[in-house]
This record gives sequence, structure tokens and C-alpha cells, in this order.
Amino acid sequence: MARGESSDRRSADCGPEVRAPLMCGIAGVFAYGDGAPAVDGAELEAMNERMRPRGPDGGGVWLADDGRVGLAARRLAIIDLTDEGTQPMTDVDGELRIVFNGEIYNHRELRARLERFGARFHSTSDTEVLLQLYRRDGEAMVDLLHGMFAFAIWDGRARRLFAARDPYGIKPLYVADDGATLRFGSTVKALLAGGRVSAAHDPAGIAGFWLLGSVPEPFTIHRSIRAVEAGTCFNVNASTGRAAARPYYSIAKIFAHAREQESIADLVEPATLLREFITESLRYHLVSDVPVGAFLSSGIDSTALTALAAAAGDPPLAVTVAFDELRGSAEDEAPLAERFAEERGLPHTTRVVTRHEFRADIPGIFDAMDQPTIDGVNTWFVSKAAAETGLKVAISGLGGDELFGSYPAFRALPRLTRLARLPLVPLLARAARNPKAKYVARYARTYAGAYLVKRGLFMPDELPSLMGGDAAEEGLRRLAVIEYIGSKMEPDPRTTFGRVAALESSLYMRNQLLRDTDWASMAHSLEVRTPLVDASLLRQIAPLLLIKGENCKQYFAGSPRPPLPDWLRARRKTGFMVPLQAWADLAPDGTSTRMRSWAQTVADNFGLKFEVRGSK
Amino acid sequence: MRILHLGTDSYGGYGGIALYNRELIAAMASHREVSEVVVVPRLVPGEKEPLPAKVTFVEKAARGKLAYMRALRAVKRTGPFEVVVCAHAHLVSAARLFSDRPLLFIYGIEAWKPLRDPVTTHLARRAGAVISISRITLDRFVVWSQYEGPVSILPNSIRAEEYGIRPKNPELMRRYGLEGKRVLLTLGRVVTAERYKGFDEVIEVLPQLAPDIVYLIAGGGNGVAALRRKAAALGVAERVVFTGRFPEHEKADLYSLADLYVMPSRGEGFGFVFLEAMASGVPVIGSRADGGREALQFGALGTLVDPANPAEIRTAIADTLAHPSREIPAGLEYFSFANFERRVHAVLDNV
Repeated sequence: MARGESSDRRSADCGPEVRAPLMCGIAGVFAYGDGAPAVDGAELEAMNERMRPRGPDGGGVWLADDGRVGLAARRLAIIDLTDEGTQPMTDVDGELRIVFNGEIYNHRELRARLERFGARFHSTSDTEVLLQLYRRDGEAMVDLLHGMFAFAIWDGRARRLFAARDPYGIKPLYVADDGATLRFGSTVKALLAGGRVSAAHDPAGIAGFWLLGSVPEPFTIHRSIRAVEAGTCFNVNASTGRAAARPYYSIAKIFAHAREQESIADLVEPATLLREFITESLRYHLVSDVPVGAFLSSGIDSTALTALAAAAGDPPLAVTVAFDELRGSAEDEAPLAERFAEERGLPHTTRVVTRHEFRADIPGIFDAMDQPTIDGVNTWFVSKAAAETGLKVAISGLGGDELFGSYPAFRALPRLTRLARLPLVPLLARAARNPKAKYVARYARTYAGAYLVKRGLFMPDELPSLMGGDAAEEGLRRLAVIEYIGSKMEPDPRTTFGRVAALESSLYMRNQLLRDTDWASMAHSLEVRTPLVDASLLRQIAPLLLIKGENCKQYFAGSPRPPLPDWLRARRKTGFMVPLQAWADLAPDGTSTRMRSWAQTVADNFGLKFEVRGSK
Repeated sequence: MRILHLGTDSYGGYGGIALYNRELIAAMASHREVSEVVVVPRLVPGEKEPLPAKVTFVEKAARGKLAYMRALRAVKRTGPFEVVVCAHAHLVSAARLFSDRPLLFIYGIEAWKPLRDPVTTHLARRAGAVISISRITLDRFVVWSQYEGPVSILPNSIRAEEYGIRPKNPELMRRYGLEGKRVLLTLGRVVTAERYKGFDEVIEVLPQLAPDIVYLIAGGGNGVAALRRKAAALGVAERVVFTGRFPEHEKADLYSLADLYVMPSRGEGFGFVFLEAMASGVPVIGSRADGGREALQFGALGTLVDPANPAEIRTAIADTLAHPSREIPAGLEYFSFANFERRVHAVLDNV
């Protein structure tokens, strides 16, 4: 089928549309305090320049006449037909200005509703929808947005900056606020590149990296820089300064509320309900003027999602990566992915990545990696492979394990909490071979502690050897990791599934999977969309998830027509592996994946080892 | 052509399915090649409406199970039927006594999951044709039943002339304490086991709406107490008004009390009430997640919301009330009886 046919069909309800270029990096400076020096245009330019790999096709900077505020954006031209949608964008009165990174999937519906009540638009871009929505609803606008986004709006009339980040934290946003000047940017490295933000390390963020394998937001590895937390928004006012961030979406709360609605979920066959709602999510995520590809592994999430996407529009070009080191092993995704693509008639490409290529890419990987993380190399290569085929947009099955409860933690956490309460466990743990066993009795009596034991990379008492005694003490005290993990279960979802899903989605997925997907794909000018990471979808299917629990993954496998074949559904679950151990010559570290060794390599590249020596 | 109609209720019945059946029977009877429509009801709870020409109504079948079986036997002796309408999935085994391939009519949640009785499920799969009130019900039926035969969509019809834009009835305004208020309305049974009408969702956003906005729930049932408790817990007890069961003749006036009809439901096969509200000139907010979206013509006739998103519901209500209007949408014509009748005749022509 010609690709044009489908895009015509998808846009038929709203008429032809000229899409704006993607804004892939945003930044800004607001000198809100009385004593703050005026915004330096050169600083803003430098911040923007640091984001060039995210948006190589152009950039824009706007500086207010009074020098108190400036905004900047880098862009990636998907198909650049007009200058429409160029940022920073202003409204007709020139009172509002916006920089925006991401996609608002329901922008046509929002536009139609705004128009019905008198709004007039001058472009077809989703950016202008944000401006008009802000004009009407103020900060309540965030509740109506369906998409992945980080944006900042300068309201010249109120002399206020308003910024928000999407519910799951798909798009990044960081701030540095010295009490008089607030700076924001899509990356930590952009904030540092302006030259006015201190790069001093934050032991709390670094401790978080050693404990969890990624830096837990809002911390970063720098004291001066904080992540805007997912699902929050905030205002900075010229007279009153920065107000506390307001959370507007909580995964825990969705699960708590869903308990009242379990009877509703029983009205329809589970596979049918999943097909309907995930197809609806896909329809939003597939709206594009350019072909949309798909990351394809041999797991249920990517295969079912690709099959549903093919049914909802054009068959997407499916991209799989393979590695010689994994050939013939259970971790080799390529043979099953190829068989699946062939059976379904999907266009498909397998890209083999070698150790040599990994070695050559290492500098690029660490340059793009915004915060230390033990993950992301896999996404780097699949994004690279997709970009090489000419794709600009691809869907990913990321989030399926958090959604459908298929991580081991869903079973392990309740077991660990029970185990930790048994009287002889401390004694037995000492004799056990597993290095984490001794921590079960100490931490695993609560879900938060059990999560740390299950997901933890290093344990708290190992940190002094990694980052120095004083730094470890300060980092652990300020991070308060058990309380931090526990806070992701507030309000209490009141079910095991809801609690573990809230933890996995608000910790591992947010701080690691999504963040890594952002930098690793943006580095290849590829936009990755995640139809299973969708606030609307979660609200719709949370009651079903609670009543069907871990069975939902199989229902999802049964949701395409025809359902996924048995040979694929029966495959043992593996992660999306790259042979890092062999490629990076990782030393044995007591774990099968040698991720502890890899973490030290990563830390070296972020200069964190230097601090160890310095603090000893 | 002789047609046999086997349904739960039609003439003398209450509610949406009875009304749909009456319209269906009338439309079938008006086909020029139809000589007789024999209607065998399971229930006749009320006073029956006048029968259209060519319709034979076997009222005694409704006197109990035994009477129903006897009536079926008697009807069978009257000779063959060219078309057998099975107007409810649970009656498919009765329909099979008259035809190997009855026309099966499906509406909503009764057809969204496999039927409890496997024999009925098996027979439903072998229907001669399936006629569904909505696309969503058809899609959901086809998945579990793996039915592969011919299908049609036959949405509800509305006789708009029986409604029309009328002033708010002062007596009802007084009775329900609605003077000086802006009124949200939902019509439907309030049953604990059926928490999919969207009553809860509307009550939950009420605290964030202007204090002069009240919610009128027209219908009775065992779920009223729970909704009252919810309203009280949210501090809006005074702003949620229950009519309890109301007399049929007050229905058009009840619609006219509303400034907005809102039903963010998840279990409607279609939602005839939307058509009634629109025929009364009342703006409507319906659900994107069930058959309501088809009653609202996918948003062309009213505002669609995600019932799981309180912010969407709240904003849609506030937006619509901020721009008050009373008009019967031109697009409602799609659901006119004339169009319904044309669709029914097309089904019969294809049999």
C-alpha cells in the first residue's frame, strides 16, 4: 500500500494538515528576582547550541526587550514545508510566548473545541493549541493534554513563566534556580553549557545512581540542577518567585481510584477491551506525515503492538537489532522477530551490531547520555538502525511490562515482604550465596524496601566504597531512598498490582527507560513514541489490570487479529539485551549481567570516580 | 412475506429495548411485501400501545414460561415464516424452532461477552444475519462469537416531533428545587450492579463546578443511597437531586428542565436517551468509550469525553454551560424514523 493513502485517511476528519517541524530541545532563562542580572543572549545561545544533536536543522532564540526573559529552541525538520510552528512562538497579541518539546496527540480535538467557543487559529500547529488553551484555562490546561511534552510559556501580561511536563515524564525538563534567576532546558548538559550554572556534584543524585542504576528525579548529579518531576507543572512570578510544583497526575492515584470501577471492566472480554483501547492509543500515536516505523523484538509487547498498528493503518517498517555474540542463544531476538514479520507480511529489517561498532560509538553514546545510567545502549542502536532506514518516527512497546505486570517484581515484592517477616530469615540470609540475601531481612519488610532489594544495583552500605564515606552519608541521608521509593505509592493503591505498577512506572520506567529512550533516540534524530505509556490508556484500563493482573500480558497477546502465535507467546521472557559484557570487557562483579561493572564505567565517564578520590 | 418476531418485550413494555422493538415491528410491517408480522412477547408489563396494521400480537405468551411454550407451538402451526427475528440473544434457541438461520438483533452488554449458556452461545454464532444497534456492540460480539455471516448496523430512531424545544415546566422546577439553577441531567436506572452510566463520574466533578450547577438524576433503583453517600462525602449533597421513578408522560418535560444532558458512560450499547435529549434541544455530552459516541455521531452532534478523565468531563460541562443554546441539531435527522424504516426495509430486501 502506498504510504500516502494512509496518511490521507488519518487526516481525513480534519482536512489537510501541514505539520510543524519537531522541536527537540528547549531552553530558557528568566531573571525574576530584583537583583538578578539581565539575561545574557550568549548564554542562551550556548545552551541552545549544546542541544544541536537533538535538533540539527535549525534553532531560534527570543529575548524580551527588557532583557528579563529569553527562550530558545532547537528543531528537527521532519518535512519542513513552512515556517509555521517555528519556535519560540508568540500569540497574536504578542503577550504569550512558548517553547515546546514533544507531541500533543489530541491537538485536533482541543482545537475543534476551542474554535467552537470562539478561538481563532493562525497555524495548524499543536504549539498554537497550547497557547490558546493556556489563554483560556491557565495552568488547568495540563489536565486536558494527551501526549508527551515539556513546555514553557512566558505570559508577558502577568510577567509569569509557566512550565509543565507530561504525566509519565517521556519528555525531559530540568531547572536551575539560584533564587533570582531560573534557567530551564531539555538536558542537564545544556544547562551547564550556558556557563552560569554550577557543576558541583550532588551526593544525593549520585547515591541514587549507585543504588538504582539511574539518577532518581528530581535529583541530578549536580546540586544546582533539578528535574521537573513527571506530571507536575509550576509557575515563576516576577514578584513572588517560584511556586511549588503542582502534581496533576499520579499513577498511584489512578490505581487507587480504579478499585471502585472493577465491575465496569468485567463488561467486555479482556482481549477485546485491550485491543480497543490500545488501538485508540495507537491511532493517536500514528498520526504523522512521514512513515512511522516500529521497534520489533520477539517479545509480546512489540509484536502485539506492531500487529495492532498494522491493523490501524499502514504496516510499519519493523526494525530489529541483532548481535553476533547472542546468535543461537535465547536472547537473540532476530530469528523470531523475522519469522513474525514474514508471517504478518510486515516490511522488516534486521541490523547486526558488532563489538567494533560499539567501540566506535562509545564516545557518541557518552556524549548523548545526559545523566549516568546503566541502560540506553540498546535503544541507541535500535534508534540508529531505524534512522538509517530513513525513519523519523518509530513506535516502541516500552511500558508493556509495567502496564501488564510482567516484571518479576510483581510476584517477588509480596513474597519478599512475607519472607522478611519470618523469624529465622536473618540467620539463613547470612548463609545464602546470593549477595542480596542478607539485605532481605533488613529492608524487605515493606514494599519500598523490597523494591530496593529487588531492583537495587548496589546496597546502601556498599556506597562508601564507591563514592567516599562523607558523600555516601550525605547522599543517603538526603535521598532517603526507602521513603523516596515509598512516596511513589501515595495515595496507597491498596492492591499488590497497583502498588508494584506504581513503583515500576514511577521509578525504573521513568528514571531509566524513558529518559534513556529520549537521549538515545534524539541523538539519531528519531522520535520514539510509546503508545503503551499513555495517561489516558492507563485511566481506561486500570480497572481491568486490577481484576486480571498478570494475565493481562496474555490477553494483550490475544488482542490482535489473528492473535499472536503460540510459538511467540510461549517464549521465555528476556530483557532487550545487548552483549555489553563482551563488548566492554566488563569485569566479573557477582551478577550475571555485570551491570555493576558497567555502572563503574559509566561513572568514570561522568567524572564521578574523581570525586571518590577527592573525598577520601 | 410472513415475519415472526421473538423478543422480550415490545408493546406494553418499558425501556429502550421495548421501544426499539416497537419501531422495528412497525418498520417491518410497513414493507410492501410483508403480509404479517407475528409478535410473541415474553413480557407485557404495562398497557400496550395501538398495534400497526399487519401485526398480530400473541399477548397470552407473556403469561409465563408454560404459556410461552404453548404460544410458540400454536404459532408454529400457523405455517412457515420467511423471516424469523430473534430480538434478544437469550431467545436464540426459541428462534431456532422456526428457522435454522434467524436474524439476531443485539444491543449492548448482553452481547459484549460470551453468553452464560454455551448452547445459546453456539446458536448465536450460527445466526443467519446479525443486526446490531451500534458498531461497538457488533465489533465486540464478532470477536468472542467468531461470527462470520452478514451484518448490519441499525441504530435507534427518534420521533423528534414528540419532543421539541419547550420551556422549563415550573411545577417540576419547584418539585425538584431547581429554580435559579443550571441543571445537568442524566436519565437512567440507578442500579448498584450497573455502575457504568457515569453517575459517579458526574458527581465527582461537581465540587469543581460553579455552585449554581445541580445534577438531576432521573430514575430510581437500589443504587440511589450509594450515590447520595458519595455526594454527601464530596460536600455536594444539596446539588444532587433524585427524581426516583417518574411517570412516562413527564419525560419530555424532564428533558426540558436540563441545560445539559451528560452521560459519561461505559456500558451503553447506543444510548437512546441522547437522541431524546437532542430532540428536546438540550446540548449533550456523551462517552467516547461506548456506544454513546455513535449516538453523538462521533462528536458531530455533541461533545465526547473520556469517562475516565474527570478533567475532560468537568471542562466539557463548564464550556457547554458557558455558551448556553437550545437547538435541535440538523444531524439528528440521521436517526429519524423514516431513515430507520429505510434501513429495516434494506435488511428485509437482503434476506
